[in-house]
Formats: sequence, structure tokens, C-alpha cells
Amino acid sequence: MDDRLIQFIAGLRAAGLRVSLAESQDAARAAAVLGVRDRAAFKSALKATLVKERDDGPAFERLFPLFFGSGGPPLIPPQQALSPDQQRALEAALRALAGDLSRLLQQLAQGQPPTDEELARAARIAGAGRSTEPREQGRITRAMLRQLGLERLAREIAQLLQQLEQMGMSPEGREAVAQMLQANAEVLAEQASRYAGQSIARNLVERQPRSFDEQGLLETPFSELTEAEARELRKLVTRLAARLRSRAALRQKKGAGRQLDAKTTLRANLRTGGVPFDLHYKKRQIKPKFALICDISTSMRPVAEFMLRLMYEMQDQVGKARSFAFNDHLEEVSDAFLLHRPDVAIPNVLTRIPPGYYATDLGFSLKNFVDTHLDAVDRRTTVIVLGDGRNNHRDPRLDLFERLQRRSRRLVWFNPEPSATWGQGDSDMLAYLPLCTAVHQVSNLAELSAAVDTLFTGR
Amino acid sequence: MFSTPTEVGEALARQRYISTDEIATVVFLAAQLGKPILAEGPAGVGKTELAKAWASALGRPLIRLQCYEGLDETKALYEWEYAKQMLYTQLLRDKLSELLADCATLAQAADRLAGEEDVFFSRRFLLPRPLLQALLSDEPVVLLIDEIDRADAEFEAFLLEVLSDFQISVPELGTLKARHLPLVLLTSNNTRELSEALKRRCVYLHIDYPTLEAELDVVRLKVPELAPGLARQAVELVQTLRELDLKKAPSVSETLDWARALVLLNARALDAQTLDHTLSILLKHESDLQRARISRVVR
Repeated sequence: MDDRLIQFIAGLRAAGLRVSLAESQDAARAAAVLGVRDRAAFKSALKATLVKERDDGPAFERLFPLFFGSGGPPLIPPQQALSPDQQRALEAALRALAGDLSRLLQQLAQGQPPTDEELARAARIAGAGRSTEPREQGRITRAMLRQLGLERLAREIAQLLQQLEQMGMSPEGREAVAQMLQANAEVLAEQASRYAGQSIARNLVERQPRSFDEQGLLETPFSELTEAEARELRKLVTRLAARLRSRAALRQKKGAGRQLDAKTTLRANLRTGGVPFDLHYKKRQIKPKFALICDISTSMRPVAEFMLRLMYEMQDQVGKARSFAFNDHLEEVSDAFLLHRPDVAIPNVLTRIPPGYYATDLGFSLKNFVDTHLDAVDRRTTVIVLGDGRNNHRDPRLDLFERLQRRSRRLVWFNPEPSATWGQGDSDMLAYLPLCTAVHQVSNLAELSAAVDTLFTGR
Repeated sequence: MFSTPTEVGEALARQRYISTDEIATVVFLAAQLGKPILAEGPAGVGKTELAKAWASALGRPLIRLQCYEGLDETKALYEWEYAKQMLYTQLLRDKLSELLADCATLAQAADRLAGEEDVFFSRRFLLPRPLLQALLSDEPVVLLIDEIDRADAEFEAFLLEVLSDFQISVPELGTLKARHLPLVLLTSNNTRELSEALKRRCVYLHIDYPTLEAELDVVRLKVPELAPGLARQAVELVQTLRELDLKKAPSVSETLDWARALVLLNARALDAQTLDHTLSILLKHESDLQRARISRVVR
């Protein structure tokens, strides 16, 4: 039992769940308390102790039957389905047709399941030995059944029934035989399906999950991320944001420069005779306001995605945030984040504005912004521009940029390109640079999160 | 204590709380393993109610700590009662001067006073807040830490010590250990992600909106006056509303409020007029009301 549990936990980990040692101990204790008799209770116990994220629920549901499923229901023996006369007739018919019938039909008619070797052989030929994808279970099952000879079965059953008719069996008797065979064929399909599932589960555990080096991943440039690495990094963002969030929260509370609130302090300390044991400070509206202007041209997509994710995760530390995306023109995308979770919202935003090479027009997008969304910026707003500053030699509209600078509290630029290339080719970065309060290079997630962190310092 | 999850479910049912098998199993496990339960799920599906039902099923008092932004240790754990200390000092002034009368030097007087310090920093002047109450209670209790997602991350970290060791250190008094292990239920509406450390220490329970039949059972139990046919219609409508993309989906408690309103209004059927008058009990945003009307779930 314990071995199975350990394998199951390894399977969960391979599927990407974070299960700690303490949690696996809890699961073992829970299993010991409840026992395995009541399958539903056993399952709830494992779920409560091992799955702590709602999003991980489906993975658990998928893997549980693979590890804790039985081999499937047993085949129905003829003794149970047929009367003694019918049984004898069936045996006689089977003997008469012995040369023509497949082994499979004989087994089904006798209520004997295929032997383990037969199943294993069928599974091997069906390719179950390599698969680590639970969704391939159906395909492998069908291939196994084909291998066992299920395709010929219908014809052979007809042949058998004919033989039985010739031997003078009543229609009811033939009906009973046909039903038994049909039921046993279904049971066999179920057994094959479980067998396929279990071998996938075994493969899943044996395959070493690709371990990613967290620090290395943080420092991999966005432009060089593979799809698998990007997936891993997305999971990291959540934890990174949690860290940033508590830092931001602490700063808001313990930050320097808070002011004593004499009135509240006196009132609160009346009970100690006015001796100020308990100091109260003026509450500041410190949650920052942001307007995020994101370049989502093809080259900028990965970094834009992570920026949007980080900002979304930080939402509870932010007073108000509006986000805009541009390529050849600019659109507000805040509503996508209000209505959906980031997993849905980000692809949504990225498809709303079509990508294109050499289409970026920062100057025109700035004009769009100033014309229609200037209300998003007031003297408490930090404006963040996320872009490479490559404007395809169009007018950078520094005049509009200067207006933004004067109107906002801070104007911060995040650029994913290394600073050595700023100003080279069609980059207008050096022209924008003097107007910015701060410019950060954000070529990887480590730099990006450090840059986002500075946004919350309050100054 | 109960010996099987089924018994837990039955005991909860006696407290008029309809639980699923999963809830009963998790509650049973939490008691067996001595671990807190972390119940997550949308607002108004009966997470707080579960704690109340559990406490009364066990016949234990329920101590509730409501979390909010800015909650700190003095409000959750304990506070020194300055005023009482001050009052005692004032009233005992004569006794104190008597005590210090034969002291020759200031240093000697200070030493002697220090010897009596324990009087002023004793349990007598300690004002226990919910967490400490739960630990020091003479009888075992159920501790409900409600809406933990509203408290700050630091408070969550502080809670870790309390929940894993069930002890608290008060600098002036030393470590106070729990007399009885309290059964703890934390609830969260998932407005923010809780720390992994906290989740690791808890058994996790996700309570979602109930199925049609389960919700109908709840309505029948809590609002028996509502005609059975109407109750089914009402619950069906609520279930359809939850399918819509609403800002705030109607919760079970709102279904119950609505059911009560239907009883009070003597409604016979869910006609256009009744709906028009009462729908605002279910949907609290103007845009949600409009969306419900547009989608023709309600006419």
C-alpha cells in the first residue's frame, strides 16, 4: 500500500504538483486512519492532504484511478449467466467450431480473462511502454483490443450463434449467450483500459521530471526561452509575486517618513492617563497608481506577457492600474484583466492586437494614448512604458512624451534590450531617456521583478 | 469524538448542516490528525457555517477570529491591560510605600520593587484575544479563523507558529502551551493566494457551489414553508444564474434569503412581476441584473 502511495505522489510530482515531504506523511497517516476499504473516503483523504491548489484538482482526478484502480471488474462466467443445458450446448458448439474460432472468443465464452502475458504483449505492441500522456489511454486501449482480436469478434459470435441454432438451441438460449458474450467484451475493454492507464502511470513516474534550475531560468533572456521553460517560468511568477507583494506590504507599513497622528495617539492613550504607550500614525494613501503601456510587437511578446502577469499578481498592492497595449496603434486592455484570470486574459490581449514585424509605431500610439486615455494619468500615477523603443524610423513624438512626464508622478521605462544597443539602428531609446524618471533593463525575469519592485518603493 | 466520517456527516446533519461526503471526511481527518482545516471557496457557500455546526455537534464553544487588513498580534493574541495595571498601582500606592519604607538607597528600592514585578506582569493583567483564549480555554474549543485571505502576509506567517505547535511565547511570562488542542478551521474566499507554508500545515477543503439537489435540500431544510414546486424552480433559476458570467454569482445564503422573501411575499409562481421585485436579493450589481435580463434567464 505504502509503495503505491509513494508512487502516486511521485506521479503527482511528475505532473507538476508541489508535494512536500510533510504532506506525503500526512497523506500516509490519513490513509492509515481511514483505510482503503471506502474508496471515496480514501480519495478525499488523499486529496485533502496532497492537493492544496484548486488548479491541481484535475491532475489529481486524472491520476488517482490510474494508481488506485483495480484491474477492472471480472468476466462473467457461463455458470452464472446460463442454465446447465445452455452451458453444455455452448461447450459443444465451441468444440465443433474449435478450428475456426479465435482464442479471444473462447476465453470470453468461458469467462476467463486474457492472461497477464497476453495483456502485456498486446500493450507492448500498442505502444503502452513509451507513453507518458494520460490522454493517450483511449488510443492505446483501442490498439490493445485490436491486438487481442476484438475486430473479428462480431463475425465469430454470429458464426457461433448459427452453430447453436443448428444444434437446436432455443432463441432465448441464444439470446442469453449473445448477451453474456457482449457483456464480457465490455468488461474486457474496461480491463484493457485500466491496464493501459496503469502502464502510463508507471511510465509517468519512471520518467524523470525535467528539473529546471530556478535561478538559471530567472536569468535566461526572455528571447531565448523555450516553450517548456516559459511554462515553468509562468509558475515561478506567482511565487515571485508573492515575495514582491510581502515586501511591498512591509514597506507601506514600516516605511520611513511616516507622520505621527497626535490626535489619534492622544485619544488611544487616554486609558493610560495620556502616557503614549501606543503610537498612531497618519494613514497615507500609499498604494501606487499605475498606467502600463506595453509594446506587444512580435519581439516584445514574451516580456510583455510576464510583465502583465506580474502586474496582475500584484493587484492587491496597487491602488489602481490601467493597462494599454500597442503595436501599430494603442488600445486599452484593462477590462480583460478585470473579467478573466490571467491565463485567459493574456492570450486574449495578445490576440486582440495583431502582431507584425516592422509595424511598431510608438509615436502614433502615444498620440492615441494622449488623445483618448489621458484621464488615466494624474499626478499620483506612475506611467510605465514597456518597450524596446524601436520606432521603425517614425516620429518618436517626444513632445507627447514630455507631456506625459509633466503630468505623471513618475515616468519609468522598461527596456528588454541590453543598454549597449540603445540608440543603435532604429532605436529612439536615447531620445526618450532624458525624459524618464528611471530606465530599467529587463531582459530576464530576475531583472524584471527587481524593476517592478522599485515601482513600490513609494518614491 | 467520532469514529467514522459517516458519523461526522450525521452529526453535522443534526445541526442542520448538509455536508457532502468530502466535507465529512475532511472534518473527520482533521480531528484525527490534529491539523487545521483550510476551507476555500466562493463567498456564501457555508464555510463559516461549517465551523458553527462542527462546534455545536461536538458541544464545544466556538471562538471566532475575524481577519481584516491590518489585524495584528495585539488584536488576535493578547494585550496587556495598561489601565488595570495603572489602577492597581494607584490603589496599592500605600502598600508600595510601606514596602519600600526601610530602603536606604534608591538602588535598593528599585531592587525590591523589581522583586515584586511579577505581580504586575501576571496573567491577571493579560487580556486574552481569540487565539490565546482558544489555547488557554479550560475546555476544548473550535477555533474559527475567518477570511484569512484578508489579513496581511505577516499575520499569516505569525499564525504558522500558533497552528503548528499550539503554543505562544509571551516575553514577560514565558511560553504558554495549549491545555487542549483546539480544532481549527480557517476560511478563505481566495481573494489572494495564501502562502505555501500555511497550506502545507492544513488539510485542504474546497467547498464549491452545491449541486441542484444539494442546494434544494438546503432550501427545504432552512425554509420549509416554501412550496416544493416553487423551491425547485427557484433553485433551478439560481443554478442557471451561476452559469452566466456575472460579477458576483448568487451564493447559497442569498438563495436562502430569496426563498424567505418568496415566502413572505406569498409568491405562488416565479412570474415576471415577482422576479422583478425580488431579483435584487440575488444579484447585487446593476450590470449583473441587466445581464440576467438580456440573457433571458429571467424575463
